[in-house]
Amino acid sequence: MNDLIPLMVIIPIIAAILLNVLHGKNSLVKIVSFIIAICLPLIPLLSNYGLHYFGGHSPLIDNGDLLNSLPSFISNTNLSNLHIGITYYFGGLQKAILFFLFLLGFLAIFITINERKRSSGSYMFLIFMALGSVTAMLLSDDIFHMYIFFEIAITAQVGIILSSNDDQRYETAMKYMILGSIGGPILLTGIGFLLGLVGSVNITDISNAVKNGLIDPISPVFLFSFGLIFFGWIYSVGLPPFHTIKSAIYSKATPSGSAILQALSVVIFLSFGLAILRIYSHLPFINGFIIFFSLCGMILSITMALIETDLRRIIGFLAVGELGYLGLGFGIGTKLSVTAALFQGLNELIITALLFIGFGVILQLTKTSNINKLGGLIESHPKIAIMVLIGGFAMAGVPPLNGFQSKLMLIQSALNANFPELAIIMILISIVTFMTFIKIFHSAYLKPKPKDLTIEKSLVPRSTILSIAILLIICIVLGLMPELVVKDFSVFVGGLI
Amino acid sequence: MDIYTMIHNSVKNFQNKLKKDIITNENVSSAIAAELTIVSTILISSILLRRINVMLTVLIILGLGLYLITNMPLISKLKKEQDDSLNKMMFYVILTLGILVSVVYWGVL
Repeated sequence: MNDLIPLMVIIPIIAAILLNVLHGKNSLVKIVSFIIAICLPLIPLLSNYGLHYFGGHSPLIDNGDLLNSLPSFISNTNLSNLHIGITYYFGGLQKAILFFLFLLGFLAIFITINERKRSSGSYMFLIFMALGSVTAMLLSDDIFHMYIFFEIAITAQVGIILSSNDDQRYETAMKYMILGSIGGPILLTGIGFLLGLVGSVNITDISNAVKNGLIDPISPVFLFSFGLIFFGWIYSVGLPPFHTIKSAIYSKATPSGSAILQALSVVIFLSFGLAILRIYSHLPFINGFIIFFSLCGMILSITMALIETDLRRIIGFLAVGELGYLGLGFGIGTKLSVTAALFQGLNELIITALLFIGFGVILQLTKTSNINKLGGLIESHPKIAIMVLIGGFAMAGVPPLNGFQSKLMLIQSALNANFPELAIIMILISIVTFMTFIKIFHSAYLKPKPKDLTIEKSLVPRSTILSIAILLIICIVLGLMPELVVKDFSVFVGGLI
Repeated sequence: MDIYTMIHNSVKNFQNKLKKDIITNENVSSAIAAELTIVSTILISSILLRRINVMLTVLIILGLGLYLITNMPLISKLKKEQDDSLNKMMFYVILTLGILVSVVYWGVL
């Protein structure tokens, strides 16, 4: 079933194009998008682990007959190891991340179908295109291929922001595009330097070239490529100085759109983060760079979340700050820490989506997200309040939820690697996250209802409640049984470090 | 003026610094919590420099601690610098790119 590997990218893209063509045919758009979205999570579950070579272009070393027929300067050298075509790798890590990503995509589409009387084929196009793009990035072993899909994902993100009803959506989207016009080309320039130096954009080939001494790892060109690719990475994931715009875009999209946007950021973080670790792990300062930017991201985002008064912006800052944990795991650079970072990434994808959708209900009912104007919602919506509360506990790392398991692993890895300072900071930031969450929960649900606050009588769609419940169940299950995914992540990291 | 008085005065200034928003107990206590968070995390983070040089770390922590406390409240300045203005975002983006590339290139020389 290895043929299913490319279908994880092809099906969402074909679905996107088809739904765009069907735009205007309301019922058909709803039916087609629902069917494709519900089938997508099954593909990673059914697919076998392995490699897929596009065009059948496997490395010569895998083709004994052909290799023997070639001259010795090819068959006896590293040329026989080169990957000629684009390669996709599908393992346990990709299986877990893609399953939950597609599940989240399905929930976002499910909510959209139920919330909007007229379903937009163009909006579905954006969601499917974004899902297909980040899937390609996670599967691909080719950094240029990753870049192409990265640009598509960024464009889809902008479209998702524009499709909301927020007054400032155009301005925010424009700012994001302008900053992207710096981050994207810088990333491409870094990849160009690598191509010029190694002659390949395949990550395994580049990594082998560094390991075998074919290129000097401290040559200015190689280091320069690191600087540029690293800068592109911090842009794509929203580490400082891009944390402000990243939190802004989360707060301007629809709740389900924000859930998708942050999931895209997490997957892009993991894809490019792993590529950077594989290519540049020989550089002595790489860990320091990743730790520095991650710490800055955590500290700045959490302090901004504390003093913000806009509910959606607070969750946006918390989401960006949580990415710092992933960065710290990558920066510490041990097997346990990288495994914990991958687990934290998966958890963040689920928890933050839960919070965006859960707090989105408040916006829908009250038409405001200013916490000073909210209050008393627990009387009318106690079930949602409890589910959101548990989701917030998961984000803050309260046992026995999934956030606790991954953060505990990260803290243990920091202590094992002789980084007690990082362990203390992670605990401190978790406490402040808890405090921030309790503040917004109190403001929205527990505080007495302000006299001028009008709560709409309309019922919250069942699709929204069901989505929150599904995400919450995943948080609890992964908290109680982390080995369901951690084992596979550990095997993947074992092959990496 | 002793350090306690300086901190006490800066906390009293929070209301004036946050006057753009509606002042509630929550806002002020959040700002104080953010202030303490940023000071403590920066100081703890700077202990990481011990991997380079212990004496340098001690000096930096002392200097940084003094600087942070004498410049309180920091959070209002931080908030001002991190608004949604495109000019400020662009400034910090270019600054980061410049520092990043310079540091990486300098590492070679």
